[in-house]
Amino acid sequence: MHYQTEAWGAYMAPRTAGTDPLERVERLAAENAVVIFSISSCCMCHAVKRLFCGMGVNPTVYELDEDPRGKEMEKALVRLLGSSQAVPAVFIGGKLIGPMDRVMASHINGSLVPLLKEAGALWL
Amino acid sequence: MASNNNTRRISEVGLSDSEPSTQHLVYGVLHGISPPSSNFIDQHGSTAYDFGELEEALIPKVLQNDGDRKPLLGIHPPPTLEIFPSWPVRYQPTPRAHSHQSGESTTDSGSAQNTGSQLEPESPVSSSQKSQPNRRSSDPSLHQKQERSDMAPAPSDSTAHHHNQSKTLVDKRGASSSTERVGSKTLDAKTLRRLAQNREAAKKSRLRKKAYVQQLESSKIKLTQLEQDLQRARAQGLFIAGAGGGSNVSSGAAIFDMEHARWIEENQRHMAELRAGLNAHLPDTDLRLILDGCLGHYDEIFRLKGIAAKADVFHVFSGLWLTPAERCFLWMGGFKPSELLKILVPQLEPLTEQQFIGICNLQQSSQQAEEALSQGLEALHQSLADTVVGGGSLGDPPNHHVTNYMAHMAIALARLANLESFVRQADNLRQQTLHQLRRILTVRQAVRCFLAIGEYYSRLRALSSLWASRPRESMITYGNSSQLTSSLQMIQQQPPHQNHFSTF
Repeated sequence: MHYQTEAWGAYMAPRTAGTDPLERVERLAAENAVVIFSISSCCMCHAVKRLFCGMGVNPTVYELDEDPRGKEMEKALVRLLGSSQAVPAVFIGGKLIGPMDRVMASHINGSLVPLLKEAGALWL
Repeated sequence: MASNNNTRRISEVGLSDSEPSTQHLVYGVLHGISPPSSNFIDQHGSTAYDFGELEEALIPKVLQNDGDRKPLLGIHPPPTLEIFPSWPVRYQPTPRAHSHQSGESTTDSGSAQNTGSQLEPESPVSSSQKSQPNRRSSDPSLHQKQERSDMAPAPSDSTAHHHNQSKTLVDKRGASSSTERVGSKTLDAKTLRRLAQNREAAKKSRLRKKAYVQQLESSKIKLTQLEQDLQRARAQGLFIAGAGGGSNVSSGAAIFDMEHARWIEENQRHMAELRAGLNAHLPDTDLRLILDGCLGHYDEIFRLKGIAAKADVFHVFSGLWLTPAERCFLWMGGFKPSELLKILVPQLEPLTEQQFIGICNLQQSSQQAEEALSQGLEALHQSLADTVVGGGSLGDPPNHHVTNYMAHMAIALARLANLESFVRQADNLRQQTLHQLRRILTVRQAVRCFLAIGEYYSRLRALSSLWASRPRESMITYGNSSQLTSSLQMIQQQPPHQNHFSTF
C-alpha cells in the first residue's frame, strides 16, 4: 500500500488550479491498478485496506483528509457513488467498483479476483 | 296466603320442565319444605299438601319397599334423593280440577283455568282421559299460568283429596303410559318417581354439558380474537415488551424481536415446504420456485436487521435477539459465514470438482472479508478507547477538564455510530454468501443445503431451551475439580447408550 500526497504532485504533469475534483478523482484512479480513496479516521476504510492487503494486493491510498482539495473530492465522490458515504471508494483498473458493500459482494461472488488479475494487481 | 306463596314458589320452580331451575328446585325443596311440614299444615290448614304425600316423596325408596305410604311424621329424610320437580305441591290445582269434574268451580278461576284444565295433568280424571304425550308436550308456561291462576282459588277443596293427589303425583311424572294406575299405585309411584328422577338427572347433565360446550366455544372465539388483536397491535409496533424484559429495551429492539420471532415461524414453513417438495420428488422448476421463496425470506430478515440496526445498533450487534446457544457463535451481530460453510460442506456432498472449487473459493473469500471487517472493528475499538481516554487523564475526575471531556465524548459518539456500518457490512457478507451458495449448487443440492441450515439453527434454538430448563443440581460440581474429573470419568465409563449426553 502506498500513500500519495499532494507533495508528489510537483513531479507529475502540471495541473491547472481549479481542476474539476471529479476529473481529478478519475485521473488519480486511472494511475494505478487499485486506488482507494479514504479518510484516515474512518474504520471502514481501514477494513477495506486490510482486505486488499490480505489478498496480497498493493493498493494506492489517497487520504482525503490529508489532501488540501480533499473536501471537494469527497463531494465529488458522494455524487459519483450516489450515497452519503464518500469513503471508502475503490477503483480497479481505473474503473469504479464502489463502496465497501460492492467490494465485498464482488469478492464473494468471485468477480473481484479476476478484475484484480486483469488490472495487474494480482499475479497468482 | 303465605302458604300459597310458598307453594307457588315451589311449584313454579318445579314447573319448568327444562333446566337450570332444577337447582332452584332443590333449594326450593329444601327451603320451602324443610321447615317441618307441620308448619304448612298449621299455616295453611287447608293447604293443598298432604303431608303424607310430602313425606312419601321425601322418604328414600329403600325404606319404603312395601309401597305403603307410611306417614312418618317429623322425619326429614335426606333431601338429595328427591330432586323431583313434580312435587305434590303442584297439586294445588287438583282440587279445582276435581271440582271441575264435580261440576263446581268455574267461579274460582278465570278462563285460563278453564283452558288449562284441558291440559291439566293433575287431575286423575283428565289424565286418564288424555295421553301421556300430550301432557308432556304441554306448554310449561301455560302450566305455570295455570298454576298461578290455580293458586287463586281457595284451597278449601284440597283437604280431602289425598287420593287424587297421590294419583296426580304419580301421573304427573309418569313418562310411560301409566294413565291407569289404580292398583299398586305406591309401587308404581316409586318406580315412576325413580324413572322420572333419572330422566331429570340425565336432562340436567345434558344441559350442563351443553352449557359447558357453549362456554368452551365462546372462550375459543374470544381467544382467537385476542390473538388477532395482539398480532395487529404488534404489527403496529404497539406491543412493547422486550425479549429480556426490563424497561430499558427500546421499542425498535422489541419490534425487531417480534419480527424475528415471526420470521422464524415463517422460515419453518419454508423449510417444511422444501422438505415436502424434496420428498415428493418435484421437478426442478418447482423446487427452484420454492427455493427462491426461501432465499427471499432470508433477504427479508437482513432487511429487517438493517432497519433494527438503525434504531438500536447495540441490540443487533450484541445478538440480544438470539437465543443463548446461537449467541455463543456471535460474530458482528449474527452468524459467521465461513463457520457456517465449514458445517455445511460435509452435508453437501457429493459435489463436482468445479462445485468443490467454487465452495472452497467462497470459503476463502468470506474468510478474508470477515478478517477485514474484524480488523476494521478492532480499529474502531482502538479509536474509541483513545477518544474516551483523551477526554482527560483517567486519574482525574471528569469535571477536571470539562470542555475537553465533553468534546471527546462527542467524538466518541460519532465513532460509536460507525458500529452500524459494520453490522450492515457483516449482514451484507452473510447475504452474499447465501446467494453465492445458491449459485454454486444445483437445485436439489441447494434445497438440501437450505434445509440443513434451517435444521442447524433450529437445533441451536432447541439447545438453548434445553439449557434454560436444565436441572440445577448437576452431577458436576464446579467448585471441586477432583469431583469434576471423577464425574467425567463416571460418564466416560458408562456404556455409550446410557450416556445421557448422547440423547440428542
